[in-house]
Amino acid sequence: MNAQTEMENLVLATALELADHETCFVGIGVPSLAAMLAKRTHAPNLVLIYESGAIDANPPIAPLSTGSPSVTADTAMIGDCLDVFGDLQAGRIDVGLLSAAQVDRHGNLNSTVIGDYHKPKLRMVGSGGAHDIASLANRVVIAMPHDPRRFVASVDFITSPGFLNGGGERLRCGLRGGPHAVITGRGRFVFANEELQLERSFHPFSLAQAVEGFGWDVPVRPGAFCFNGFDDGARMVARGIGLSAGA
Amino acid sequence: MSKLLSLGDAIQRYVPDGALIFIGGFGHCVPFAAGHELIRQGRKGLTLCRTGTDILFDQLIGAGCVAKVIFGYLGNPGVGISHSFRRAVDTGSLGVEEWTNFTLLLRLHAGRIGVPFLPSRVLLAGDVPQASADARKITCPFTGESLSAIPALLPEVALIHAQRADEDGNVQMWGIDGDTREGALASRVVIATVEEIVPREVIRAAPERTIVPAHRTAAVCHVPGGAHPSYVQGYYTRDDEHFVLYDRVSRNPNELSAYLDRHVRNVADREAYLNSLEPGVLERIGIARRVHPTARKDARSGDPVEAR
Repeated sequence: MNAQTEMENLVLATALELADHETCFVGIGVPSLAAMLAKRTHAPNLVLIYESGAIDANPPIAPLSTGSPSVTADTAMIGDCLDVFGDLQAGRIDVGLLSAAQVDRHGNLNSTVIGDYHKPKLRMVGSGGAHDIASLANRVVIAMPHDPRRFVASVDFITSPGFLNGGGERLRCGLRGGPHAVITGRGRFVFANEELQLERSFHPFSLAQAVEGFGWDVPVRPGAFCFNGFDDGARMVARGIGLSAGA
Repeated sequence: MSKLLSLGDAIQRYVPDGALIFIGGFGHCVPFAAGHELIRQGRKGLTLCRTGTDILFDQLIGAGCVAKVIFGYLGNPGVGISHSFRRAVDTGSLGVEEWTNFTLLLRLHAGRIGVPFLPSRVLLAGDVPQASADARKITCPFTGESLSAIPALLPEVALIHAQRADEDGNVQMWGIDGDTREGALASRVVIATVEEIVPREVIRAAPERTIVPAHRTAAVCHVPGGAHPSYVQGYYTRDDEHFVLYDRVSRNPNELSAYLDRHVRNVADREAYLNSLEPGVLERIGIARRVHPTARKDARSGDPVEAR
């Protein structure tokens, strides 16, 4: 029961990070579900962009690959990778939606290895477009299931740069933007002084449950509260999309 | 001059052991038939490159054809990790050069347009540049900004799959291209498998669909169904279930070997491959109806009716 609530909360809350008329670079999984939900509810003019080259897509069902038939089924334009990564680098994409295996206190993401790079415990898929989106989108929203193994003080490998070690390092490296929010099924986190802090929890989870098991003491923002305002209609739409990627 | 060859002959003639090969297809039009022919012919020591890979990379690694991979993403799209890749990394038997999808694309684009590198605003921070990618920091001579120099990549051979071509080798593809055109045009030799061979007039009635012109194509091979389990827009849809099945099979090297025997090593050609699939698959993805020789076609465009 809680697992379904968490998954619904995660998709509902991530969708709310997206505003109508924004351009959004979308990844597979929860990012796709959230963008699809936003477009079906409060943000009908949201422009979904997939790295495969689909621009202003409107997937009827959640795609398994950014090149899936569902991505092109109702899209305005099929360009190529240069079109969409070019727009991204030119600063013309408002928000990037990402997920990863690990996130840390400075919003750095890991999708490359668990353990040492040269002798990994688990070799994963690598960056894909994630490094590029994290480096170039004007705003980055990170959607992660609540899982203590995924929230670590410092990621094993920085695939996609957040605020690096903090203290303005990202800007000194020549990167603009940066992570804006981290969403889980239990809460919403923002960044203050380039460090993650809990801004709210999502009903039925308390503030303590929202950071349960994390690999460091996560600061709680003054005025943090438990949010119980997800729209029932939007929840029904989310269930209709099917809360797992399918085709 | 006709560029028509059997797939076996094309691979035999143009792909030596140890070649640097670009594999086309961004989820769409992945050249599985051509990759399977590499396995059947027992190619060794290959270096494979592309941005976002498909499970064809896993199959080639699992079959022992690959010495090195150059990629942005290497996994089973939407399903999980590449198990053969993981095992090869564990044993240290595989060279790994990882980039990002954008920078691998820029490498191919630089190769295609004949410059040694392109500047970019990524690989400026994080662990990807240090661990593997051979990008260099440069200062822009005009603005003084810090940028990354992304070096050109020039594959020897591109293997791509597309909707159709004429005998001369004009290859037409529509739908998702991803990095396919960049990779093909960066390569010295292009081998294209296609769903249909069409008359010249069909190509020239819609030249905007041509992604590789005849003078850049070395061989065209007529291989209907050559992209399964990926898809070909207008011809058949993606076999998502096969990607889930493959995730299960490829977790175990013995099961993977049995899979490769059944679907790759012990089938003579693509028709035999299609017949080796589970009953009902061809109907489910629409391949029987769309690719069959008697499928209705639009008289002017040559498109299968119901396409697009």
